[in-house]
Amino acid sequence: MEQIMFSLLNGVIYGLLLFMVSAGLTLIFGMMGVLNFAHASFYMVGAYLAYTLQPLTGFWLAIVIAPLLVATLGVFVERFILRRVHAFGHAHELLVTFGLAVVIAEVIKILYGNFPVDYRVPSSLNFSAFSLGGMEYPFYRLLMGGVALVMFIALYLLLTRTRVGIVVRAAIHRPRMVEALGHNVPIVFMSIFGMGAGLAGLAGAIAGAFYTTNPNMALELGIVVFVVVVVGGLGSMEGAMLASLLIGVMTSLAVSVNASLADLLDTFGQGEWAREVGGVMTLQLSSLAATLPFFLMLLILLTRPSGLMGEKE
Amino acid sequence: MMKKLLIVAIFLTLLAALPALVAESMLNVSVQMLIAALFATAFALLCGQAGMLSFGHAAYFGVGAFATVHAMNAFGGEGLLPTPLLPLVGALMGLVVGLGAGYFSTKRTGTYFAMITLALAELLHSLAPHMRGLFGGEAGISSFRMPAWGFEFGSITEVYYLVLFWTVLCIALLWGLTFTPFGRLVLGLRENTNRLQFLGYNTHVLGTLVFALSAAFTGVAGGLQAIHIEAANYVFLDAHISTAVLLNTFIGGAKVFFGPAIGAATMVFFGHITSDLTRSWLLYQGVIFILVMMYLPRGIVGETLACYRGKAGALSWMILLWRFAGVLVASTGFVLAVELIQRFFSTDYKAERMADGWPSISFAGFDWAPFALGTWGLPLVLITAGIGLIIYINRRGAGQQEART
Amino acid sequence: MSRDTLVIERLNKSFDEVQVTHDVNLALREGERHALIGPNGAGKSTLFHLISGHYKPTSGSIRLDGKEIGGMDPASVNRRGIARSFQINNIFAGLSVFENLRLAVMRRHGLQFNFWRRVSQLRQVNEEASDLLQKIRLTAKANAVAGDLPYSDQRSLEIGMTLASDPKVILLDEPMAGMSHEESDYTTGLIREITQGRTLVIVEHDMDVIFALADRITVLVYGEVVATGTPQEIRESARVKEAYLGEEA
Repeated sequence: MEQIMFSLLNGVIYGLLLFMVSAGLTLIFGMMGVLNFAHASFYMVGAYLAYTLQPLTGFWLAIVIAPLLVATLGVFVERFILRRVHAFGHAHELLVTFGLAVVIAEVIKILYGNFPVDYRVPSSLNFSAFSLGGMEYPFYRLLMGGVALVMFIALYLLLTRTRVGIVVRAAIHRPRMVEALGHNVPIVFMSIFGMGAGLAGLAGAIAGAFYTTNPNMALELGIVVFVVVVVGGLGSMEGAMLASLLIGVMTSLAVSVNASLADLLDTFGQGEWAREVGGVMTLQLSSLAATLPFFLMLLILLTRPSGLMGEKE
Repeated sequence: MMKKLLIVAIFLTLLAALPALVAESMLNVSVQMLIAALFATAFALLCGQAGMLSFGHAAYFGVGAFATVHAMNAFGGEGLLPTPLLPLVGALMGLVVGLGAGYFSTKRTGTYFAMITLALAELLHSLAPHMRGLFGGEAGISSFRMPAWGFEFGSITEVYYLVLFWTVLCIALLWGLTFTPFGRLVLGLRENTNRLQFLGYNTHVLGTLVFALSAAFTGVAGGLQAIHIEAANYVFLDAHISTAVLLNTFIGGAKVFFGPAIGAATMVFFGHITSDLTRSWLLYQGVIFILVMMYLPRGIVGETLACYRGKAGALSWMILLWRFAGVLVASTGFVLAVELIQRFFSTDYKAERMADGWPSISFAGFDWAPFALGTWGLPLVLITAGIGLIIYINRRGAGQQEART
Repeated sequence: MSRDTLVIERLNKSFDEVQVTHDVNLALREGERHALIGPNGAGKSTLFHLISGHYKPTSGSIRLDGKEIGGMDPASVNRRGIARSFQINNIFAGLSVFENLRLAVMRRHGLQFNFWRRVSQLRQVNEEASDLLQKIRLTAKANAVAGDLPYSDQRSLEIGMTLASDPKVILLDEPMAGMSHEESDYTTGLIREITQGRTLVIVEHDMDVIFALADRITVLVYGEVVATGTPQEIRESARVKEAYLGEEA
């Protein structure tokens, strides 16, 4: 029972982390119609920057400065690279961000090597928050979840309650009109892109200490984030939250299940046969946990193509 | 028309005579170049002609490779599938998997489509190590090329001719496809799927078919790879394979038929000859890709063709030459900087540092002191000079254009 | 007495809270030329979208020759014999003019999955495309890239593509938009010629064109049919005047 509670909690927190990254992606896509392939790369850069800064400035400053640096990088990318290809169409922009992801990954490999770096939770935060049925729950996980929640609330309030937020939301739907009304839309775009990047960087800075920090983390997380936005509906913040939590919980629960199809067939008395067949039948759900999001995505595509909360195309 | 045929004939003759002209080690690379060219052309059928960006084509390459390796083991080079006919298995498997994957993927368009293809490929990539029977786990599956039809298939020369035959055949088929009704419809898919629907076409079926065809020819490329290295590994399903074909295709130019093939062959070639000199080839390729996307949107072959046909506006040779010079200077500076940085941060250098303070970095026959002004000043100067030259030339060119009009 | 070919009954369309089509009833007679007029935002294009399959009706029925087509996808509707043009040019911009027409013609010849014949050798298809090209007066520009054409030529191409599927019912959505007087005159004559023996529904704002072409006119205001009748009846209708001018005229 406690096992399930733990898994659930882990899942929710992982989901919130996914949301931190996919929120920025959703925002940028909603505004510019461009899927930023390099978004998860910003996540990775955030982690590595925090890792680099930690010995110099201590943990807390590091996770404040790193996202700011990543946001600056985002602003540069938008201003000097994306703006240039905007005229060539969405496909072109997507491709450029793809190239950017490759370049960022390679630069990271040059500077930090191909293997994971030792970015870890500082000892001051490395304690357990509570124990449940004999198992300790790390405080740091709760911290990650907390930061994600605060970020979600701040973003929500910013977009819905402030003037800046209204301008941004208007710019998403009718950029030319907003420009005609006198707002500087290019600056709005640049800031949004930077902010999205910064959010991803923050997620990386915090999560990198807990999970591994390696040159592959962008690809690994990036794909799950893409699944999140397809499942949630591209452009929908609520959808991204829902899908993030769904996928987070689903993956987390599956990891703790050591049963396989063969075990399921045991209930019908066909377990032996299944084990003889081997292969897919004997695969444990825990090993397949990482592939579950993809199956969910396929399911959504078949039944509700525009995503859980997306608009019909 | 005759001129084009002549060029093609000369080119094919050169390719056929290659084994007599180059060393064996180059033949190995040539095989890789041919396979990459076929892969890119098959990819461009979907990406360039149908306008559907796929980020997961490694899946079909890998599927083709594994199917072929299994066939190699099952038939031992005889019976229904002698060695020369093995790529057909790759084609068939690619087609079948492509039909399934295409059916799902083409339910959405644009960005969604791209993400679905990525996720499907990653799904396969993550499942593969678990399915040992099919994919042989971490080690993969290996086989042997068996003699058939009087050939031994032991030497690289014979493999080269086999790969050459299939590559030329497949590319020729794909070329021919562009002249058929289906081929023209594929272009319609790219230009305006919506209008096709209102003209009565079932665009989902069309999309699925072109996807499957692209996957089939990709499967041939995978099969050829499996024959070449006599093995298949789940690494063939990895994202970096999808990345490579995408970069190659767009650097060449996706909408021009031979752009992807030329782009792929060139990239593989340069990747090979620089493999001893640098570890950062992929970085360079990525940067080339971004620069091409920004400044040569039709791809290198595409822009060259457009220039040749006079579509890119009047262009003076002098301006082109100066621009090229600027690019050369800036690139030299950039490469210098990257190589120095790479060595500075490498684990080897860190080891040297343990022993000896801050030793010089040796590169290109020189010793570079890590904190000397010259070491970092030189690349900076080169890059600035190169870019400055290009900007200056562009301004002068624009000024001349204005003066003329 | 010619029979009804396209019958719309109690058609409604809402987008969430907003209802854009209110209880529309319309019966088109085979072979007639029917104009659809009304102020901007009246829902004329929406009606076209509903008929051509772009939108699904919220309720009500659309029947072609007795068979229900409401809610079908656009490709199926086209195959049943309804073709439409678009208010905003919806052509294959990157392809040549000839290619545009050829793509439109090919489907009727069942060639969409043909990957073994060369298009240059499809005599019938090429002839039909050439004929269309001639009718829309673009023969000289056959090899021009469609997206590079001047706007009114693109409009002509738009009409040509609509005709290519040899439809029973043609829906033309403001075909004359952006054309000069001379072009407009020519196109009116062209439309009259190509719609011989077919049923035409045309949305237009130019009253001269309407009165020259239409057998009957339907007036649509705020998604509702305000009047249907001959041009004479419509011209004299008080209801129509009120709807357009907002008062007793």
